[in-house]
Amino acid sequence: MDRGESLTEAMKIKLIRTGGFIPITKEAETDVNLSDSQVKSLLEIIQPDRIPSPIKDGNYYLLAIGSSSTLVDLEKVPDEYKALFSKLKSDLKFIKRR
Amino acid sequence: MLARLMESGNKRIADLAVNSNFRSLRFRHDRIFFQKASLQEKTILGLIGKESGKETMQMEVYDCKQKTDLTGANLIWDTKTNQKITSVAGKNVIKGGKASWDFYWQLFGRNSIDNKGLLIKQYVHYDKGMDNAYWDGRRMVYGDGDGTVFTSFTSDIDVIGHELTHGVTENEANLDYENHAGAMNESFSDIFGIMIKQKCDNQDVKKSNWLIGEKVMIGPKYALRSLKAPGTAYINHPDLGDDPQPATMDGYQNLPNTQSGDWGGVHINSGIPNFAFYVAAFNMGGYAWEKAGRIWYAVLTDTSLIQNGKFTDMKNLTIVHAEKLFGINSPESKAVKQGWTEAKV
Repeated sequence: MDRGESLTEAMKIKLIRTGGFIPITKEAETDVNLSDSQVKSLLEIIQPDRIPSPIKDGNYYLLAIGSSSTLVDLEKVPDEYKALFSKLKSDLKFIKRR
Repeated sequence: MLARLMESGNKRIADLAVNSNFRSLRFRHDRIFFQKASLQEKTILGLIGKESGKETMQMEVYDCKQKTDLTGANLIWDTKTNQKITSVAGKNVIKGGKASWDFYWQLFGRNSIDNKGLLIKQYVHYDKGMDNAYWDGRRMVYGDGDGTVFTSFTSDIDVIGHELTHGVTENEANLDYENHAGAMNESFSDIFGIMIKQKCDNQDVKKSNWLIGEKVMIGPKYALRSLKAPGTAYINHPDLGDDPQPATMDGYQNLPNTQSGDWGGVHINSGIPNFAFYVAAFNMGGYAWEKAGRIWYAVLTDTSLIQNGKFTDMKNLTIVHAEKLFGINSPESKAVKQGWTEAKV
Protein backbone atom coordinates (compact mmCIF):
# COMPACT_ATOMS: atom_id res chain seq x y z
CA MET A 1 0.00 0.00 0.00
CA ASP A 2 1.42 3.38 -0.99
CA ARG A 3 1.49 5.48 2.14
CA GLY A 4 1.45 8.65 0.01
CA GLU A 5 3.04 12.01 0.33
CA SER A 6 1.23 13.30 3.41
CA LEU A 7 1.28 12.11 7.00
CA THR A 8 -0.64 8.94 7.62
CA GLU A 9 -3.09 8.85 10.44
CA ALA A 10 -4.65 5.98 12.32
CA MET A 11 -8.35 5.94 11.66
CA LYS A 12 -11.27 3.59 11.96
CA ILE A 13 -13.09 2.44 8.87
CA LYS A 14 -16.30 0.48 8.96
CA LEU A 15 -17.79 -1.71 6.26
CA ILE A 16 -21.57 -1.88 6.45
CA ARG A 17 -23.75 -4.35 4.56
CA THR A 18 -27.46 -3.60 4.23
CA GLY A 19 -30.47 -5.05 2.44
CA GLY A 20 -31.27 -8.62 1.47
CA PHE A 21 -34.17 -11.06 1.55
CA ILE A 22 -34.78 -9.96 5.11
CA PRO A 23 -33.44 -6.50 5.80
CA ILE A 24 -30.46 -7.05 8.04
CA THR A 25 -27.43 -4.92 8.72
CA LYS A 26 -23.94 -6.32 9.23
CA GLU A 27 -20.87 -4.31 10.17
CA ALA A 28 -17.13 -4.78 10.59
CA GLU A 29 -14.63 -2.18 11.75
CA THR A 30 -10.84 -1.95 11.66
CA ASP A 31 -8.03 0.54 12.20
CA VAL A 32 -6.02 1.64 9.18
CA ASN A 33 -3.18 4.07 8.62
CA LEU A 34 -4.15 6.12 5.63
CA SER A 35 -3.58 9.70 4.61
CA ASP A 36 -6.46 11.95 3.63
CA SER A 37 -5.41 11.78 0.00
CA GLN A 38 -5.29 7.98 0.10
CA VAL A 39 -8.79 7.85 1.56
CA LYS A 40 -10.06 10.29 -1.06
CA SER A 41 -8.44 8.32 -3.86
CA LEU A 42 -9.80 4.99 -2.55
CA LEU A 43 -13.34 6.31 -2.26
CA GLU A 44 -13.18 7.68 -5.79
CA ILE A 45 -12.03 4.34 -7.17
CA ILE A 46 -14.59 2.17 -5.38
CA GLN A 47 -17.64 4.36 -5.82
CA PRO A 48 -20.26 2.76 -8.09
CA ASP A 49 -20.20 3.89 -11.75
CA ARG A 50 -23.77 5.08 -11.40
CA ILE A 51 -26.38 5.18 -8.70
CA PRO A 52 -27.53 1.57 -8.71
CA SER A 53 -31.21 0.92 -9.27
CA PRO A 54 -32.61 -1.30 -6.55
CA ILE A 55 -31.91 -5.00 -7.07
CA LYS A 56 -34.75 -7.15 -5.75
CA ASP A 57 -33.52 -8.50 -2.40
CA GLY A 58 -30.02 -7.21 -3.20
CA ASN A 59 -27.29 -6.32 -0.71
CA TYR A 60 -25.40 -3.02 -0.64
CA TYR A 61 -22.08 -2.10 0.93
CA LEU A 62 -21.21 1.22 2.49
CA LEU A 63 -17.85 2.38 3.79
CA ALA A 64 -18.07 4.59 6.85
CA ILE A 65 -15.17 6.82 7.78
CA GLY A 66 -15.81 9.14 10.66
CA SER A 67 -19.38 10.35 10.53
CA SER A 68 -19.93 9.94 6.79
CA SER A 69 -20.65 6.78 4.82
CA THR A 70 -20.38 6.17 1.09
CA LEU A 71 -21.92 3.49 -1.09
CA VAL A 72 -19.12 1.32 -2.51
CA ASP A 73 -18.69 -1.32 -5.20
CA LEU A 74 -16.49 -4.05 -3.77
CA GLU A 75 -15.77 -5.41 -7.26
CA LYS A 76 -13.72 -2.24 -7.86
CA VAL A 77 -11.42 -2.52 -4.83
CA PRO A 78 -7.78 -2.11 -6.01
CA ASP A 79 -5.38 -5.01 -5.49
CA GLU A 80 -3.48 -3.27 -2.68
CA TYR A 81 -6.68 -3.02 -0.63
CA LYS A 82 -8.16 -6.43 -1.47
CA ALA A 83 -6.84 -8.14 1.67
CA LEU A 84 -8.20 -5.34 3.86
CA PHE A 85 -11.68 -5.52 2.37
CA SER A 86 -11.66 -9.31 2.30
CA LYS A 87 -10.93 -9.30 6.05
CA LEU A 88 -13.63 -6.71 6.71
CA LYS A 89 -16.15 -8.73 4.70
CA SER A 90 -15.38 -11.96 6.53
CA ASP A 91 -15.60 -10.12 9.89
CA LEU A 92 -19.09 -8.72 9.23
CA LYS A 93 -21.34 -9.19 12.25
CA PHE A 94 -25.10 -8.87 12.55
CA ILE A 95 -26.51 -5.75 14.12
CA LYS A 96 -29.33 -7.00 16.28
CA ARG A 97 -32.71 -5.41 15.69
CA ARG A 98 -34.62 -4.31 18.75
CA MET B 1 -92.88 -26.70 -17.08
CA LEU B 2 -90.33 -26.02 -14.30
CA ALA B 3 -92.28 -22.91 -13.28
CA ARG B 4 -95.42 -25.02 -12.79
CA LEU B 5 -93.53 -27.67 -10.80
CA MET B 6 -92.00 -24.97 -8.57
CA GLU B 7 -95.51 -23.98 -7.58
CA SER B 8 -96.46 -27.59 -6.87
CA GLY B 9 -98.20 -28.29 -3.60
CA ASN B 10 -95.85 -31.25 -3.15
CA LYS B 11 -92.88 -29.75 -1.24
CA ARG B 12 -90.38 -32.36 -2.49
CA ILE B 13 -91.31 -31.75 -6.16
CA ALA B 14 -91.22 -27.98 -5.62
CA ASP B 15 -87.75 -28.24 -3.99
CA LEU B 16 -86.44 -30.36 -6.87
CA ALA B 17 -87.84 -27.92 -9.41
CA VAL B 18 -86.28 -24.90 -7.68
CA ASN B 19 -82.92 -26.70 -7.54
CA SER B 20 -83.13 -27.69 -11.22
CA ASN B 21 -84.02 -24.14 -12.18
CA PHE B 22 -81.12 -22.77 -10.12
CA ARG B 23 -78.61 -25.19 -11.72
CA SER B 24 -79.93 -24.45 -15.18
CA LEU B 25 -79.59 -20.71 -14.58
CA ARG B 26 -76.03 -21.13 -13.31
CA PHE B 27 -75.02 -23.21 -16.36
CA ARG B 28 -76.52 -20.62 -18.70
CA HIS B 29 -74.68 -17.82 -16.88
CA ASP B 30 -71.42 -19.82 -16.88
CA ARG B 31 -71.75 -20.43 -20.64
CA ILE B 32 -72.38 -16.72 -21.29
CA PHE B 33 -69.47 -15.79 -19.00
CA PHE B 34 -67.04 -18.10 -20.79
CA GLN B 35 -68.23 -16.92 -24.22
CA LYS B 36 -67.61 -13.31 -23.26
CA ALA B 37 -64.45 -13.88 -21.19
CA SER B 38 -61.38 -11.94 -22.25
CA LEU B 39 -58.09 -13.68 -23.01
CA GLN B 40 -56.80 -12.57 -19.61
CA GLU B 41 -59.81 -14.03 -17.82
CA LYS B 42 -59.50 -17.30 -19.75
CA THR B 43 -55.82 -17.44 -18.86
CA ILE B 44 -56.58 -16.80 -15.20
CA LEU B 45 -59.20 -19.55 -15.22
CA GLY B 46 -56.64 -21.94 -16.68
CA LEU B 47 -58.48 -22.40 -19.97
CA ILE B 48 -55.56 -21.43 -22.20
CA GLY B 49 -52.36 -23.14 -21.15
CA LYS B 50 -53.78 -26.55 -20.43
CA GLU B 51 -55.24 -26.89 -23.93
CA SER B 52 -51.97 -26.26 -25.75
CA GLY B 53 -49.53 -28.16 -23.55
CA LYS B 54 -46.62 -27.80 -25.96
CA GLU B 55 -44.36 -25.36 -24.12
CA THR B 56 -41.60 -26.71 -21.94
CA MET B 57 -39.39 -25.06 -19.37
CA GLN B 58 -35.90 -23.91 -20.34
CA MET B 59 -33.42 -23.59 -17.50
CA GLU B 60 -29.71 -23.29 -16.84
CA VAL B 61 -27.92 -23.63 -13.50
CA TYR B 62 -24.49 -22.14 -12.86
CA ASP B 63 -21.96 -22.66 -10.07
CA CYS B 64 -20.28 -19.44 -8.91
CA LYS B 65 -17.74 -21.42 -6.85
CA GLN B 66 -18.12 -18.97 -3.97
CA LYS B 67 -16.99 -16.05 -6.09
CA THR B 68 -18.92 -12.90 -6.96
CA ASP B 69 -18.15 -12.80 -10.68
CA LEU B 70 -21.31 -14.14 -12.34
CA THR B 71 -19.75 -14.03 -15.81
CA GLY B 72 -17.11 -16.53 -14.66
CA ALA B 73 -19.61 -19.02 -13.25
CA ASN B 74 -19.65 -22.58 -14.63
CA LEU B 75 -22.72 -24.04 -16.30
CA ILE B 76 -23.45 -27.23 -14.32
CA TRP B 77 -26.94 -28.16 -15.57
CA ASP B 78 -29.37 -27.29 -18.33
CA THR B 79 -32.69 -28.65 -19.56
CA LYS B 80 -31.22 -29.67 -22.93
CA THR B 81 -28.66 -32.11 -21.58
CA ASN B 82 -30.18 -32.77 -18.14
CA GLN B 83 -26.77 -33.88 -16.85
CA LYS B 84 -26.31 -35.39 -13.39
CA ILE B 85 -25.03 -33.00 -10.77
CA THR B 86 -23.70 -33.46 -7.26
CA SER B 87 -24.34 -29.95 -5.87
CA VAL B 88 -27.24 -30.04 -3.40
CA ALA B 89 -27.88 -26.35 -4.02
CA GLY B 90 -27.96 -27.09 -7.75
CA LYS B 91 -30.48 -29.90 -7.23
CA ASN B 92 -32.59 -27.61 -5.02
CA VAL B 93 -32.86 -24.86 -7.61
CA ILE B 94 -33.66 -27.31 -10.39
CA LYS B 95 -36.53 -28.69 -8.28
CA GLY B 96 -37.68 -25.23 -7.19
CA GLY B 97 -37.37 -23.75 -10.66
CA LYS B 98 -39.39 -26.59 -12.18
CA ALA B 99 -42.05 -26.31 -9.46
CA SER B 100 -42.33 -22.56 -10.04
CA TRP B 101 -42.54 -22.89 -13.82
CA ASP B 102 -45.14 -25.68 -13.49
CA PHE B 103 -47.18 -23.60 -11.04
CA TYR B 104 -47.46 -20.63 -13.40
CA TRP B 105 -48.02 -22.86 -16.44
CA GLN B 106 -50.56 -25.26 -15.01
CA LEU B 107 -52.65 -22.67 -13.19
CA PHE B 108 -52.39 -19.61 -15.40
CA GLY B 109 -51.05 -20.86 -18.73
CA ARG B 110 -48.04 -18.62 -18.15
CA ASN B 111 -44.95 -19.71 -20.06
CA SER B 112 -42.05 -18.75 -17.78
CA ILE B 113 -41.07 -15.41 -16.26
CA ASP B 114 -41.98 -13.29 -19.29
CA ASN B 115 -44.81 -15.53 -20.58
CA LYS B 116 -42.72 -15.99 -23.72
CA GLY B 117 -40.64 -18.94 -22.57
CA LEU B 118 -37.71 -17.02 -21.09
CA LEU B 119 -34.69 -19.18 -20.21
CA ILE B 120 -34.57 -19.38 -16.41
CA LYS B 121 -31.02 -18.78 -15.18
CA GLN B 122 -30.08 -19.70 -11.63
CA TYR B 123 -26.68 -19.17 -9.98
CA VAL B 124 -25.72 -21.10 -6.84
CA HIS B 125 -22.77 -20.94 -4.39
CA TYR B 126 -22.51 -17.17 -4.82
CA ASP B 127 -19.78 -15.56 -2.70
CA LYS B 128 -18.32 -16.99 0.52
CA GLY B 129 -20.94 -17.57 3.21
CA MET B 130 -23.39 -15.19 1.53
CA ASP B 131 -26.63 -15.14 3.53
CA ASN B 132 -28.93 -13.95 0.79
CA ALA B 133 -30.72 -14.65 -2.51
CA TYR B 134 -31.70 -12.08 -5.09
CA TRP B 135 -33.13 -11.41 -8.56
CA ASP B 136 -30.93 -9.02 -10.53
CA GLY B 137 -33.34 -8.38 -13.39
CA ARG B 138 -32.08 -11.31 -15.48
CA ARG B 139 -31.33 -14.19 -13.13
CA MET B 140 -31.70 -15.65 -9.66
CA VAL B 141 -28.62 -15.79 -7.43
CA TYR B 142 -28.26 -17.79 -4.20
CA GLY B 143 -25.67 -17.80 -1.45
CA ASP B 144 -24.73 -20.75 0.76
CA GLY B 145 -25.55 -18.95 4.01
CA ASP B 146 -23.12 -18.21 6.85
CA GLY B 147 -23.69 -21.66 8.39
CA THR B 148 -24.59 -20.16 11.75
CA VAL B 149 -27.80 -18.19 11.30
CA PHE B 150 -28.59 -19.19 7.75
CA THR B 151 -28.05 -22.27 5.65
CA SER B 152 -28.19 -22.29 1.83
CA PHE B 153 -30.82 -19.94 0.44
CA THR B 154 -31.76 -22.74 -1.97
CA SER B 155 -33.07 -24.87 0.92
CA ASP B 156 -36.68 -23.68 0.67
CA ILE B 157 -38.80 -23.88 -2.46
CA ASP B 158 -40.75 -20.77 -1.38
CA VAL B 159 -37.54 -18.70 -1.53
CA ILE B 160 -36.89 -19.91 -5.07
CA GLY B 161 -40.52 -19.17 -6.01
CA HIS B 162 -40.15 -15.74 -4.39
CA GLU B 163 -37.14 -14.85 -6.55
CA LEU B 164 -38.73 -16.16 -9.76
CA THR B 165 -41.86 -14.16 -9.02
CA HIS B 166 -39.79 -10.97 -8.89
CA GLY B 167 -39.13 -11.68 -12.56
CA VAL B 168 -42.84 -12.21 -13.23
CA THR B 169 -43.71 -8.93 -11.48
CA GLU B 170 -41.04 -7.11 -13.47
CA ASN B 171 -42.67 -8.36 -16.67
CA GLU B 172 -46.19 -7.49 -15.53
CA ALA B 173 -47.06 -4.70 -13.09
CA ASN B 174 -43.35 -3.76 -12.84
CA LEU B 175 -44.03 -2.23 -9.46
CA ASP B 176 -41.51 0.33 -8.23
CA TYR B 177 -39.18 -1.07 -5.60
CA GLU B 178 -39.93 1.53 -2.95
CA ASN B 179 -42.53 2.38 -0.30
CA HIS B 180 -46.05 0.92 -0.86
CA ALA B 181 -45.35 -0.33 -4.39
CA GLY B 182 -42.11 -1.99 -3.28
CA ALA B 183 -43.87 -3.67 -0.38
CA MET B 184 -46.54 -4.93 -2.83
CA ASN B 185 -43.74 -6.18 -5.09
CA GLU B 186 -42.27 -8.09 -2.14
CA SER B 187 -45.70 -9.31 -1.10
CA PHE B 188 -46.48 -10.79 -4.53
CA SER B 189 -43.19 -12.70 -4.31
CA ASP B 190 -44.00 -14.03 -0.84
CA ILE B 191 -47.58 -14.92 -1.77
CA PHE B 192 -46.67 -16.82 -4.94
CA GLY B 193 -43.62 -18.31 -3.21
CA ILE B 194 -45.75 -19.77 -0.42
CA MET B 195 -48.39 -21.05 -2.87
CA ILE B 196 -45.69 -22.77 -4.94
CA LYS B 197 -44.56 -24.56 -1.78
CA GLN B 198 -48.13 -25.37 -0.72
CA LYS B 199 -48.87 -26.87 -4.15
CA CYS B 200 -45.68 -28.95 -4.09
CA ASP B 201 -46.57 -30.27 -0.64
CA ASN B 202 -50.31 -30.53 -1.40
CA GLN B 203 -51.10 -28.30 1.58
CA ASP B 204 -54.42 -26.56 1.99
CA VAL B 205 -54.83 -23.27 3.88
CA LYS B 206 -55.21 -25.06 7.20
CA LYS B 207 -52.32 -27.49 6.79
CA SER B 208 -49.79 -24.86 5.67
CA ASN B 209 -47.80 -23.04 8.35
CA TRP B 210 -47.48 -20.05 6.01
CA LEU B 211 -43.78 -19.64 6.79
CA ILE B 212 -41.24 -18.50 4.21
CA GLY B 213 -37.70 -19.83 4.53
CA GLU B 214 -38.16 -22.12 7.52
CA LYS B 215 -35.20 -24.29 6.47
CA VAL B 216 -33.04 -21.39 5.32
CA MET B 217 -33.06 -19.94 8.82
CA ILE B 218 -31.33 -22.29 11.22
CA GLY B 219 -33.28 -23.29 14.34
CA PRO B 220 -36.74 -24.85 14.73
CA LYS B 221 -38.29 -21.63 16.07
CA TYR B 222 -37.21 -19.43 13.19
CA ALA B 223 -38.20 -18.59 9.62
CA LEU B 224 -37.61 -15.61 7.34
CA ARG B 225 -41.22 -14.44 7.27
CA SER B 226 -44.72 -15.46 8.34
CA LEU B 227 -47.77 -14.60 6.25
CA LYS B 228 -50.11 -15.90 8.92
CA ALA B 229 -48.61 -13.77 11.69
CA PRO B 230 -46.20 -11.16 10.33
CA GLY B 231 -43.73 -10.09 13.00
CA THR B 232 -43.42 -13.56 14.55
CA ALA B 233 -41.12 -15.39 12.13
CA TYR B 234 -38.28 -14.87 14.58
CA ILE B 235 -38.56 -13.39 18.05
CA ASN B 236 -35.62 -12.54 20.30
CA HIS B 237 -33.20 -14.24 17.91
CA PRO B 238 -29.70 -14.11 19.45
CA ASP B 239 -28.19 -12.46 16.35
CA LEU B 240 -31.12 -10.79 14.59
CA GLY B 241 -33.47 -9.75 17.36
CA ASP B 242 -37.13 -9.52 16.37
CA ASP B 243 -38.95 -9.91 13.07
CA PRO B 244 -39.87 -6.28 12.20
CA GLN B 245 -42.92 -6.97 10.00
CA PRO B 246 -46.27 -5.35 10.87
CA ALA B 247 -49.47 -7.24 10.06
CA THR B 248 -51.70 -4.18 10.01
CA MET B 249 -51.61 -0.67 8.61
CA ASP B 250 -51.33 0.98 12.02
CA GLY B 251 -47.90 -0.65 12.29
CA TYR B 252 -46.72 0.70 8.90
CA GLN B 253 -43.12 1.88 9.15
CA ASN B 254 -42.13 5.09 7.40
CA LEU B 255 -38.50 4.40 6.56
CA PRO B 256 -36.10 6.33 4.31
CA ASN B 257 -36.15 5.42 0.63
CA THR B 258 -32.48 4.38 0.71
CA GLN B 259 -30.47 1.17 0.69
CA SER B 260 -30.20 1.34 4.48
CA GLY B 261 -33.90 2.14 4.81
CA ASP B 262 -34.84 -0.98 2.81
CA TRP B 263 -36.19 1.36 0.12
CA GLY B 264 -38.91 2.59 2.42
CA GLY B 265 -39.29 -0.74 4.21
CA VAL B 266 -40.28 -2.95 1.28
CA HIS B 267 -39.40 -6.16 3.19
CA ILE B 268 -41.02 -4.83 6.34
CA ASN B 269 -44.36 -3.34 5.28
CA SER B 270 -44.99 -6.27 2.92
CA GLY B 271 -46.32 -7.95 6.05
CA ILE B 272 -49.52 -5.92 5.62
CA PRO B 273 -50.61 -7.15 2.14
CA ASN B 274 -49.23 -10.59 3.05
CA PHE B 275 -51.60 -10.74 6.02
CA ALA B 276 -54.54 -9.54 3.90
CA PHE B 277 -53.87 -12.39 1.48
CA TYR B 278 -53.55 -14.95 4.27
CA VAL B 279 -56.90 -13.93 5.83
CA ALA B 280 -58.63 -13.90 2.43
CA ALA B 281 -57.24 -17.30 1.42
CA PHE B 282 -57.94 -18.85 4.81
CA ASN B 283 -61.55 -17.66 4.80
CA MET B 284 -62.04 -19.04 1.29
CA GLY B 285 -60.73 -22.41 2.47
CA GLY B 286 -59.30 -25.25 0.38
CA TYR B 287 -56.13 -24.68 -1.58
CA ALA B 288 -54.93 -21.07 -1.67
CA TRP B 289 -53.98 -21.23 -5.34
CA GLU B 290 -57.46 -22.26 -6.46
CA LYS B 291 -59.30 -19.06 -5.56
CA ALA B 292 -57.23 -16.42 -3.74
CA GLY B 293 -54.23 -17.19 -5.96
CA ARG B 294 -56.29 -16.62 -9.11
CA ILE B 295 -57.52 -13.28 -7.80
CA TRP B 296 -54.02 -12.10 -6.90
CA TYR B 297 -52.63 -13.29 -10.26
CA ALA B 298 -55.38 -11.35 -12.04
CA VAL B 299 -54.27 -8.23 -10.16
CA LEU B 300 -50.57 -8.83 -10.87
CA THR B 301 -51.32 -9.07 -14.59
CA ASP B 302 -53.86 -6.24 -14.65
CA THR B 303 -52.47 -3.27 -16.56
CA SER B 304 -54.45 -0.89 -14.38
CA LEU B 305 -52.18 -1.73 -11.43
CA ILE B 306 -49.89 1.29 -11.65
CA GLN B 307 -46.15 1.09 -11.00
CA ASN B 308 -46.24 3.34 -7.95
CA GLY B 309 -49.56 2.02 -6.67
CA LYS B 310 -50.61 2.12 -3.05
CA PHE B 311 -52.02 -0.62 -0.82
CA THR B 312 -55.49 0.82 -1.37
CA ASP B 313 -55.08 0.34 -5.15
CA MET B 314 -54.22 -3.29 -4.54
CA LYS B 315 -57.15 -3.66 -2.18
CA ASN B 316 -59.58 -2.20 -4.72
CA LEU B 317 -58.24 -4.33 -7.57
CA THR B 318 -58.38 -7.57 -5.60
CA ILE B 319 -62.03 -6.83 -4.79
CA VAL B 320 -62.78 -6.00 -8.44
CA HIS B 321 -61.19 -9.26 -9.62
CA ALA B 322 -62.80 -11.34 -6.88
CA GLU B 323 -66.20 -10.03 -7.97
CA LYS B 324 -65.35 -10.54 -11.64
CA LEU B 325 -64.17 -14.10 -11.13
CA PHE B 326 -66.58 -15.27 -8.45
CA GLY B 327 -69.44 -12.78 -8.39
CA ILE B 328 -70.54 -9.72 -6.43
CA ASN B 329 -71.25 -10.64 -2.82
CA SER B 330 -69.73 -14.07 -3.42
CA PRO B 331 -68.02 -15.69 -0.42
CA GLU B 332 -64.72 -15.08 -2.24
CA SER B 333 -65.25 -11.33 -2.63
CA LYS B 334 -66.36 -11.13 1.00
CA ALA B 335 -63.22 -13.01 2.05
CA VAL B 336 -61.04 -10.56 0.13
CA LYS B 337 -62.75 -7.58 1.77
CA GLN B 338 -62.36 -9.24 5.15
CA GLY B 339 -58.64 -9.75 4.48
CA TRP B 340 -58.05 -6.06 3.86
CA THR B 341 -60.26 -5.10 6.81
CA GLU B 342 -58.20 -7.33 9.11
CA ALA B 343 -55.02 -5.74 7.74
CA LYS B 344 -56.61 -2.32 8.46
CA VAL B 345 -56.09 -1.08 4.89
